[in-house]
Amino acid sequence: MTVASLRGFTYRYPNASRAALDDVDLDVDDGITVVAGASGSGKSSLLRVFNGLVPHFHGGTVSGFAEVCGRDVITTPTRTLAAQVGFVFQDPELQAVYPTVERDAAFGLENIGTPPTLMLRRVGEALERAGIAHLRSRAVATLSGGERQRLAIAGVLAMNPRLLVLDEPLSQLDDEGAAALVTTLVDLAHQGTAVVVAEHRFEKLGMVQGRRIAVDGGRAVSVEASSGIPAAARPLRPSAHPRPTGPVAWRVDGLATGPLRTPVLEGVTLEGRTGEVVALVGPNGGGKTTLLRTLAGLLTPISGTVERAPGRVAFLPQNPMALLHRASVAAEIAWTVRRDPAAGDATDLMAELGLANLAQRDPRDLSTGERQRAAIAAVLAGSPQIALLDEPTRGMDDGARDALCRVVLRMRAAGCSIVLATHDINLARSVADRIVSVGAGAASELVAVGVA
Amino acid sequence: MNPRALGAWAVSGVTIALATGNPVYRVLVLLCALNVLIALRRPGVSIRGLVVALLVATAIAVATTTLASHTGDHAFLMLPSGIPVIGGRLTLEAALFGLATGIGIAAAVLAAAPLSLVLEPHALVDALPPALARTGAAIGTALNLIPGIARSATEIRDAQRMRGWRPRRVREWPDLAVPVVLTALEGSITLAEAMEARGYGSGMRTHYAEEAWHRADVAVAAVAVVAAMLFVALRISGVVSDWYPFPDVSAPPVSIAGVACCLALAAPLVAWRR
Repeated sequence: MTVASLRGFTYRYPNASRAALDDVDLDVDDGITVVAGASGSGKSSLLRVFNGLVPHFHGGTVSGFAEVCGRDVITTPTRTLAAQVGFVFQDPELQAVYPTVERDAAFGLENIGTPPTLMLRRVGEALERAGIAHLRSRAVATLSGGERQRLAIAGVLAMNPRLLVLDEPLSQLDDEGAAALVTTLVDLAHQGTAVVVAEHRFEKLGMVQGRRIAVDGGRAVSVEASSGIPAAARPLRPSAHPRPTGPVAWRVDGLATGPLRTPVLEGVTLEGRTGEVVALVGPNGGGKTTLLRTLAGLLTPISGTVERAPGRVAFLPQNPMALLHRASVAAEIAWTVRRDPAAGDATDLMAELGLANLAQRDPRDLSTGERQRAAIAAVLAGSPQIALLDEPTRGMDDGARDALCRVVLRMRAAGCSIVLATHDINLARSVADRIVSVGAGAASELVAVGVA
Repeated sequence: MNPRALGAWAVSGVTIALATGNPVYRVLVLLCALNVLIALRRPGVSIRGLVVALLVATAIAVATTTLASHTGDHAFLMLPSGIPVIGGRLTLEAALFGLATGIGIAAAVLAAAPLSLVLEPHALVDALPPALARTGAAIGTALNLIPGIARSATEIRDAQRMRGWRPRRVREWPDLAVPVVLTALEGSITLAEAMEARGYGSGMRTHYAEEAWHRADVAVAAVAVVAAMLFVALRISGVVSDWYPFPDVSAPPVSIAGVACCLALAAPLVAWRR
């Protein structure tokens, strides 16, 4: 059964020079539909049509026809469509409305007037399905990025929507969380919920069978009826290459650390060498970001020592918008270069990351993936001795991820010691000399992998 | 503890504190409210800042009245009359009147303070009547944004520091302030989008945790409201007298009924003991 239809749908954001969606014709049927496309191709704009945020929230000009769950999108406000269309945004940090997990998950149900007793049951079920029932009473402010993403998903699942739209829901989930979400989506599809999911991490959607919509330059076309999306991640393998033998660039010894002097990690002893890439993997909330922040010197250890070789430490935070606030991407990168006496021209780095055409754009007008690349360029410009990257592939398409890999490997060859915290096992496999599992309060060497 | 019962108690306390200028009743309200705050405040909540602020406000009230009002029979200091406004006799009556005013302000503020220091912000918002539910949700969301902005400021400061930002002059602080403001604005827009997508404003809201009325809640609300109404009635009828120190200071008149009404505000200490 068709749940959503677009016919000749064209949309242009206010003051935009070109259409974000251009003459789109497509149908969304029951089951799972995967939306694919490069960063900035128009995926997020297309998804926003399904719940009317485009055009109602964002304004702009629209033509053509769009119908979702039997309602005309152009004449039906988003808040009315919300009872039937659930939407999970890309940015989980900015979606929480209430300060505690349980209350926030209930927000949507409150808005559509659900009786309290039914609400209680639905919230419990949704938290269970999202895998965060154990966090029910926690303050949202204390959750990790991945846990917040699960909360956003729980809030939408609780509303039991007819159409569920998810914008890169796996980007911050650990393997277990991603697998659980995919299972949930498949279950929902079997139970009659239509699911539309935009995702770059196709390997995580390996078990999903469904249609696929390819978006490119604002044009969307249905592709084949997919029988599962291939390219599941290969298992990690021991390295055939010797570990880099350069001098130690950083070392932590007997480290206990955590925010507000509450230990998240204890007894951690690790080191990284110049010209070495270390990947930190592990579950959401396991302490990867805490370890990176401690290495960066932003978090004071509760006990133990942290040593760093002299030189600049580049740090990419999980939220790229903490970095980007100049008028243009080029100005943002120049700001870093001015403060690094050893820095040269960053033009090559911008070209490597595919930012040449975006150099004069305001970072706040970019897509999530483009912002991420701009933030990476802003921190890696110059010649850092140590680079600490927190979820660097967030929102990135395959092309951008490949470009990042090339940059990391070039820096590694130049002697930079790189530590990256990631759920993207393909990234870890592509660039890391060593993989360290961080979780359950500790960090331990998982396996060494080879770098081509 | 039902938020509406605490709301009724707070309104009653503020009413009594403002219905009289008699410092005896005001002190009694102040003591009851202070004890309720100490006994029932949320874990980890400190009232030290509030108490200091009220002491400062009272001191300002005393100083202002003493310096600006020169009436009263008992002068304790004479300032040169050539000094504008404050020049002339400084009297004990004016100082005491300022003190009574300060105590009244402190009593009213302390009576209202449990609404923010005892209840969680969203509990109060949830207690609003259905007609105000949308406004309440918006207020609750705004309250939730404040810690978010603080976190964002820390995140941005850290990110800038890692890029070599070391502010030495005031003019470099916009490097932090501008992104914090921009990020807050952008966060607000994103949050508004998320709220819209979750049906905010689509119709009559319900509440996830509708607080039930227990006997203790009914008792606190009833005792407080009756006490306030009785106090106002006694005040109008003249049984509870006001106090005015000018021109010659005298002891404030006290009525047993008035004292009983004020002490009734201690009901939460009995009914809601933790």
